Amino acid sequence: MSRPKEMTRAVIVGHKSILKDTIDSLHDTHLFHIEDFVEDESGFKISKPFKNAEEVSKKLVKIRSISNYLGIVKKEPVVQKTDSVLRDLDSKLDELDRAIATKTESIAQLENELKDLDSQKRELLPYLSINLDFDDYRGYESLKVFAGTIKGSLDGSQISSITKAYELYSDPQSKVVVLFVAKNDADRVYELLQSLGFRDLRVPERGGVPSELLRFIEQKEAEVTRKTESLRADIESLKVKYTDFILASDEVLSIESQKAELPLRIATSANTFIIEGWTPTENYDKVVSAVNSATNGKAYVTSLEIDEEEEEHVPVEYNNSKIAAPMQQIMDLYSRPKYTELDPSSVILITFPLMYGLILGDIGYAMILGAIALAIKKAVKSDAVKPLMDILIYCQVSTFIFGIIYGEFLGFSLASLHTAHGVVPGLIPGWETIVLFEGLGGEEFTFPVHRTHMVMTMIATTVIIGLLQLNLGFLLGFANISKHHGMKHAVLEKGSWLVIQLGVLVAAIGYLGGNSGLTYVGAGILVLGIVMLTMGEGIKGPIELPSLMGNALSYARIIAVGLSSIYIASTVNDIAFKMIWVDHSKISFLAVAAILVFILGHGLNSVLSIIAPGLHALRLQYVEFFGKFYEGGGRKYNPFGYIRKYTEE
Amino acid sequence: MVGEELAIGGPFLDADGMKALGAALAITVTGLASAWAEKEIGTAAIGAMAENEGLFGKGLILTVIPETIVIFGLVVALLINSA
Repeated sequence: MSRPKEMTRAVIVGHKSILKDTIDSLHDTHLFHIEDFVEDESGFKISKPFKNAEEVSKKLVKIRSISNYLGIVKKEPVVQKTDSVLRDLDSKLDELDRAIATKTESIAQLENELKDLDSQKRELLPYLSINLDFDDYRGYESLKVFAGTIKGSLDGSQISSITKAYELYSDPQSKVVVLFVAKNDADRVYELLQSLGFRDLRVPERGGVPSELLRFIEQKEAEVTRKTESLRADIESLKVKYTDFILASDEVLSIESQKAELPLRIATSANTFIIEGWTPTENYDKVVSAVNSATNGKAYVTSLEIDEEEEEHVPVEYNNSKIAAPMQQIMDLYSRPKYTELDPSSVILITFPLMYGLILGDIGYAMILGAIALAIKKAVKSDAVKPLMDILIYCQVSTFIFGIIYGEFLGFSLASLHTAHGVVPGLIPGWETIVLFEGLGGEEFTFPVHRTHMVMTMIATTVIIGLLQLNLGFLLGFANISKHHGMKHAVLEKGSWLVIQLGVLVAAIGYLGGNSGLTYVGAGILVLGIVMLTMGEGIKGPIELPSLMGNALSYARIIAVGLSSIYIASTVNDIAFKMIWVDHSKISFLAVAAILVFILGHGLNSVLSIIAPGLHALRLQYVEFFGKFYEGGGRKYNPFGYIRKYTEE
Repeated sequence: MVGEELAIGGPFLDADGMKALGAALAITVTGLASAWAEKEIGTAAIGAMAENEGLFGKGLILTVIPETIVIFGLVVALLINSA
């Protein structure tokens, strides 16, 4: 159980001449969360960015657009010195910019050329089978040339009925016709053509025989494509050459621009500045000495009291051990705790894997998923993925333990079970199921726990587990409230729920035991609890009473989702084994198919085993558990600085 | 006539059959109800997430709240079956 890191509110005041040094030192410590200044009547104004801000952001935009164009991806960092990066930045950036600009320009030109060639090619393709020099289509005084496509078919006899003076070329396949007739007959021939659905085709302007032209164009196309490809290869080699430079300078410029734009977030007067913000109390001295040494003690740094109203808005930094830290992901997914609240990360470190294991509880799946999680954790370097894999591993440890308690392996039962219908053998010979005590509804509570044979008992068990977790929630709520609003409020708002449950419990024992006196005592305690609750929460308290039952029953999903997982697994097993043992004597095609069914079926169920138990376990934390004590809504502690990867001072 | 034949051949559904049917109804209807409610909430949640990705956690919680309906249905079905 932990609280967020204790924070100190600090103010740094100084003359504007030391502003830059102060900002540099704060940036380097990476420990100071700067509070944005909002202009008010105090007379202070936000300042202007440093002079270099515009230039830096211009370069940054350029670098990022180049990086975008080249498709630079983050990679294993090669650390470079900041000064050397800065020194070469301008010349290298210009060089790179120019190289890329000329290359992209020529690529664009070549691409235009390619388009041009393509359209020329398309123009001459219809004439290919006619193969007349295009110069022959033009320049006649007494001849009219029709070139185009028709829908029907045209042969000499149709034209010879109009005139004998003609020459016809046609391609029956593409329905292209080229017809030379005397100008005098042109009108009548045109009518004939129109009746056949004639449409003009453009005659290419360039002279030459189509087949030769085509060959020429194709040659040219190949040449242009080759040129473009070599240019693209050049750009690719530029990418390889400049990747380190681009990543490093992006980082350096980002840092510069962060620093240069900070004056927009702080209060300044004509000659002074005030920087207000938060730092973890343990680091306060470090911040003070860093600022002092950077400014020769010219800046005034002091800490301020935090009043109660402000406490709600203090930025929150988790304060968890390395083991509990992955759970912060789950907290952030819901909402970061407030500064005044308990941070339940270390509680859900236990309860979340516990619920997950209770649901899945299978040695086989625990080993499969655990191995996958370990492999992903090893293979992927991303900081976002690692905590998730850690959580998955915690869950699988719990699943493994419950797998032993349930005696399950990929849906098989490990221990043999004696039922009314005879003995069901288990996977491990000699492991006999032991009856521990009588369960509900005529069921027996056994070890290992056969969930499929004791559903009613398991429902009751899971609801009781739920009640335990809900009460843990009430206790945490009690701690939260008693710290900030006093013991009286805590007793009335959260303690009353415990009193109510105690009342119900006493009454139930009295009723079941036939002791009517005890029943009345229980009823009395119950009424007392309800009165306390009404005093604490008002009328909405008693209205929420039934939700306690709903929340507790909601934990029955543990067994419900668990059963569905078992049934899927055992169905896969049934199908696979029936297929294998169709014919005992030989291994057939069916046996191979059975192995396939087995692998695919359990593969599918493994994936489902992350999603279903994961979501339901998560929901039990978020809705049922957190509902009892957690508010959330804290601000993230976001210190001024930058996590360098590609450069160093 | 048909009724008479059934009456002669015994009731159309005996007590066990009625129980099974009741359990099936409990699961079916609550399942449909959960699905309907989750559909409405899920649509809205995804809409909200498109605006602000930080709402994933809240959206997830709100979406799975109606799951409780079908869990109750399951509990009732099991109670009917074991009674």
